[in-house]
Amino acid sequence: MRFETPTSVDQAVALLAADPEARLLAGGTDLLVRLRAGNIAPSTIIDIKRIAEMTVISQEDGGWRIGAAVPSAEMNEHAALKADWPGVVESADLIGSTQIQGRATLAGNLCNASPAADSVPAMVAAGATARIAGPDGTRDVAVEDIPTGVGKTSLGKGELVTSIHLPPKPARSGDAYLRFIPRTEMDIAVVGCGIYVTLDDQGKISDARVALGAVAPTVILSQSCADTLIGTAGDDAALDALAAAASAEAKPIDDKRGTIAFRKDVAGVLAKRAARIALARARGDS
Amino acid sequence: MFRLNGRDVRVEPRVGERLSEALRERLGARDVKVGCNAGDCGACTVLVDRAPVCACLMPAQQAAGCEVETLAGLVAHEPLASDLARRFEGQGAAQCGICTPGMMVSAVALLREAPAPSEGQVMDALAGVLCRCTGYRKIVDAVMGRAPGAVADAEGHTGAAIEKLDGRAKVTGKERFGDDVAPVDALIIKVIRSPHPHARFTLGDLEGFAAREGVEAILTASDVPGVNLFGTIPGFVDQPVFAEGVVRFRGEAVAAVVGRADVMASFDPARFPVEWEVLPDVQGMADAMADGAPQLHPDRAGNVMCGGFVAHGDVGAALERAAVVAEGVFETGFVEHAYIEPEAGFAQVVDGRVEVYACTQAPVMDLDTLSEVLGMERARIRVVPTATGGGFGSKLDVSVQPYLAIAALKTGQPVRITYERGESMQSTTKRHPSRMHVRIGADAEGRISGLRFDGLFNTGAYASWGPTVANRVPVHASGPYAVGDYRAEAQGIHTHCPPSGAFRGFGVPQAAVAQESLFDELADRLGIDRLEFRMRNALANGVPTVCGQVFAQGVGIRACLEALRPAWESERAEAARINAGDGPVRRGVGVAAGWYGCGNTSLPNPSTIKAGVRADGRIVLHQGAADIGQGANTVIAQIFATALGVPVSRLDLVGGDTDVTPDAGKTSASRQTFVSGNAARLAGEALRAQILQRVNAGEEALIVPGADAFEIREGAGVHRLDLTALEPDAEGYVMRVAESYDPPTRPLDENGQGHPYAQFGYAAHLCVLDVDMRLGTVRPVRFVAAHDVGHAVNPLLIEGQVEGGIAQGMGMALMEEYLPGRTENLHDYLIPTIGDMPPVETLIIEEPDAHGPYGAKGLGEHVLIPTAPAILNAIRDATGVQMRRLPVTPARLRAAMGVAGHA
Repeated sequence: MRFETPTSVDQAVALLAADPEARLLAGGTDLLVRLRAGNIAPSTIIDIKRIAEMTVISQEDGGWRIGAAVPSAEMNEHAALKADWPGVVESADLIGSTQIQGRATLAGNLCNASPAADSVPAMVAAGATARIAGPDGTRDVAVEDIPTGVGKTSLGKGELVTSIHLPPKPARSGDAYLRFIPRTEMDIAVVGCGIYVTLDDQGKISDARVALGAVAPTVILSQSCADTLIGTAGDDAALDALAAAASAEAKPIDDKRGTIAFRKDVAGVLAKRAARIALARARGDS
Repeated sequence: MFRLNGRDVRVEPRVGERLSEALRERLGARDVKVGCNAGDCGACTVLVDRAPVCACLMPAQQAAGCEVETLAGLVAHEPLASDLARRFEGQGAAQCGICTPGMMVSAVALLREAPAPSEGQVMDALAGVLCRCTGYRKIVDAVMGRAPGAVADAEGHTGAAIEKLDGRAKVTGKERFGDDVAPVDALIIKVIRSPHPHARFTLGDLEGFAAREGVEAILTASDVPGVNLFGTIPGFVDQPVFAEGVVRFRGEAVAAVVGRADVMASFDPARFPVEWEVLPDVQGMADAMADGAPQLHPDRAGNVMCGGFVAHGDVGAALERAAVVAEGVFETGFVEHAYIEPEAGFAQVVDGRVEVYACTQAPVMDLDTLSEVLGMERARIRVVPTATGGGFGSKLDVSVQPYLAIAALKTGQPVRITYERGESMQSTTKRHPSRMHVRIGADAEGRISGLRFDGLFNTGAYASWGPTVANRVPVHASGPYAVGDYRAEAQGIHTHCPPSGAFRGFGVPQAAVAQESLFDELADRLGIDRLEFRMRNALANGVPTVCGQVFAQGVGIRACLEALRPAWESERAEAARINAGDGPVRRGVGVAAGWYGCGNTSLPNPSTIKAGVRADGRIVLHQGAADIGQGANTVIAQIFATALGVPVSRLDLVGGDTDVTPDAGKTSASRQTFVSGNAARLAGEALRAQILQRVNAGEEALIVPGADAFEIREGAGVHRLDLTALEPDAEGYVMRVAESYDPPTRPLDENGQGHPYAQFGYAAHLCVLDVDMRLGTVRPVRFVAAHDVGHAVNPLLIEGQVEGGIAQGMGMALMEEYLPGRTENLHDYLIPTIGDMPPVETLIIEEPDAHGPYGAKGLGEHVLIPTAPAILNAIRDATGVQMRRLPVTPARLRAAMGVAGHA
């Protein structure tokens, strides 16, 4: 096993393209666990933390570009980013403990492709895109198109995610993320729900995105959920319809963390509660 | 190349080597503890460029150029950290101490940024560090700098809430646990385990394998020099060190590989030559008892290991004439001890003797077992307990010890082993799952007329402490109440699961869940206040227990219940106020009681404590009761100092080492304060008598120890005992005593009548909690815990036991269930975190016991017996639903609420 520390994206792409068995290392919070458990035995570990452009948060066209090696703790300390996209930042803040947040990254959470990844529904609701670098150059892809199954991504040979982009936040918009775990903290989502809304100048919802996590092999971006909100004032009837739609959209499995019936029900409850928070943020109430 | 605690260091780690390993094994920083290697427990927290990280999740290569700080360096160099260490000591915030480095390092990172943090900030900063001993509250108090719970007391005798005498090492990173004692060049042992719950197996070409891998030795059943079996109860020694031809649970050992550290770093157990033939297995008790089920042990028909039975009066008639009868079937699952220190140790051969250093609750029992397994006389074996990073019952059984001893003897070299978290969870004992059918009747005035208990306990593949559970449960299933007509039977059932053994309470917490839940139902049906109902039925002095035992003094349950009354009334009123509003959250208040007999059930369990005085005036206490964090090292010294009549600070403590310290029995059954405490009292009294006799002083004289001589003051007179004039014995003592104590019990007859224990301790808990009715989540917001301890030897340590016990009871009630093959780590097996733990108010009741030292009673297990039923009763209070299956996960509660019409 080799340990490589490229200092540019091009070097990282070259290393990755040359060795199909190589694995990327950012915070290491998933990689080292899997190494230890013997699940993977990579030939090369490529540490991306020394690639300068991947370690910064920068403003871009009114939105935000978050380098793939930026730990979630840094996002949490970034006041302007947090003011624009509190739901995304809060979702990243739920990934493990302080110890983990000092290491773990949004891009790592995305590319680990766990159905329960906390930051993914929040990013999807926010309309985030991932910038991918590869042997054929760079491309931008919607976050929801990255995970294709449990532990699987749409990344091609030699490709890596170099940053996540959050779009400019329109006026009168807000986002929120809630997850359900049986313990207070330090757990994997049993259900997660990210919601983004924009209000028109009459206070009616003009745009909405609803993403559900941990209730299917990959994140669900639900148009039917969004449709229950769009055109309404986010009143109780709309939120009840949203809850029903979220329960209907959820396609969870039975496991020790929750039954199918329970998870579908919780998806509805969380959607309703997350929508309330997103609406309050859009109205400037919080 | 990086900086470690202020100095430049250079290491050449393997690719992918964890920073934790590099720090511990290459740089000697064994103050960095490893609990899970998965970022779940936080014990290995270090600061990298001032930010807390799990050293187990950071590749050592990534530390290049960084500033790395560990607990030992912080405490040595930074006033903020050394102050925090003092605060941890003053709060009793370190019990076993294994999580303490992670807690303190995380706290230092916080305190550097926020010198006066809020409770919320503290909880957030420490959320990633698990503690299994303390219940977290004292850690929060320490980090916030709240007034210390400990007192400065010059004498430190019983009754004084002094700091732990052995606490300093735990807060400075100097404590040495099972994995901290081996030299770096020791050979490493890796156990090969079965991936199947039931299988036949054939080992392949071991010699060829050893040669290919370059390992030093392979151990199998044929390498066991003595009897290839271990166990804890005579007649039930049934678990092989290495399985022979067939395995009976997933994780059972079939072989072990011993090799150099560099070789073992790349060793993959999957390459080990073994062929499996999978056989049908039974996981549940019903399947195990069904006709045609595979039989685990040929001499235990129907997979029934053994049973226990207590009967008194005519329960059938009593239930017939009862005004109301409540009945239910209650079920609980496996509970994992989840101490943060995985089993670990080191062994070497010295002058033909084998020395085993390992974490343990029972060093002399370990020696007994090794003597049988090694076929070696006891004199040739030495067991030295390391600090033990939590035990809770599971470290009563041997785990790593036989592998260490056999490997050391076979290779002739120092050897070490540390269980991975997964193999610790797979292979060591669990709390017994139970299925309990209980019927309880009461008359119209609310007096219990009869109670029938029929319990099955899943004891797994081997006996371990299963017979103890089977015997204890029928004695305790009445709870601390007067029940005239009673019949209780418990059976241990074998399955292809990990062995169930000892876990805080030996089955009593499970039985209390059923009995205390049905008590609430009876009280409600009779229209009697639930606390009042318990008061009416509480045992009292002079009232026989279900075993026909009558205590003339010390039955403190009524006082415990009475102590809860103010909180019961105010919290019920507050709950009514909260529940009058709407919103998805409802508040509930629950109460439950418990009792527990201290020491072995009707069997001898003596302790011996030895002490001596050296010519230079040093008073040495040989204290062999294993301190696994609960505080035996402090409590037993306090009792000895009280009896001798000298300040506790004058004592030199010598710990459990089977070469130098007599047998103080096992740290089990809440017996150390009572039994070893009594031996310490007797030893102190004997030494005092010897000193006074030498100067012909009266009993009331004051002993003032000095160097070379003791002054004995009596009224105006002063005697001088010149120690240098006395002849030292072979051990260098000029005076020496050793005293033993064995609790007075009497055997139980065929109906379980007799004197099973010389003393019981009593407890009652009140729980206030909120239920999110839409999600099914349960959030405890406060506990009030009343405990009759007879005499509070150390109130600070009592609070520590109570808070930690409540945390474990809360885990058992709400989130913990071990599922073989599915929850073999600390992210799928959930234990309470700091954010789960609400404030606890401990109310100490002192109804002196006739036998305990200065009236003291045991406590270690009582602390969690009422917790789970108090939580269940509070859930019922909030929701109207009586939950009969533990843990009460949100999914289960929501499902039950659906059934109960709360959709």
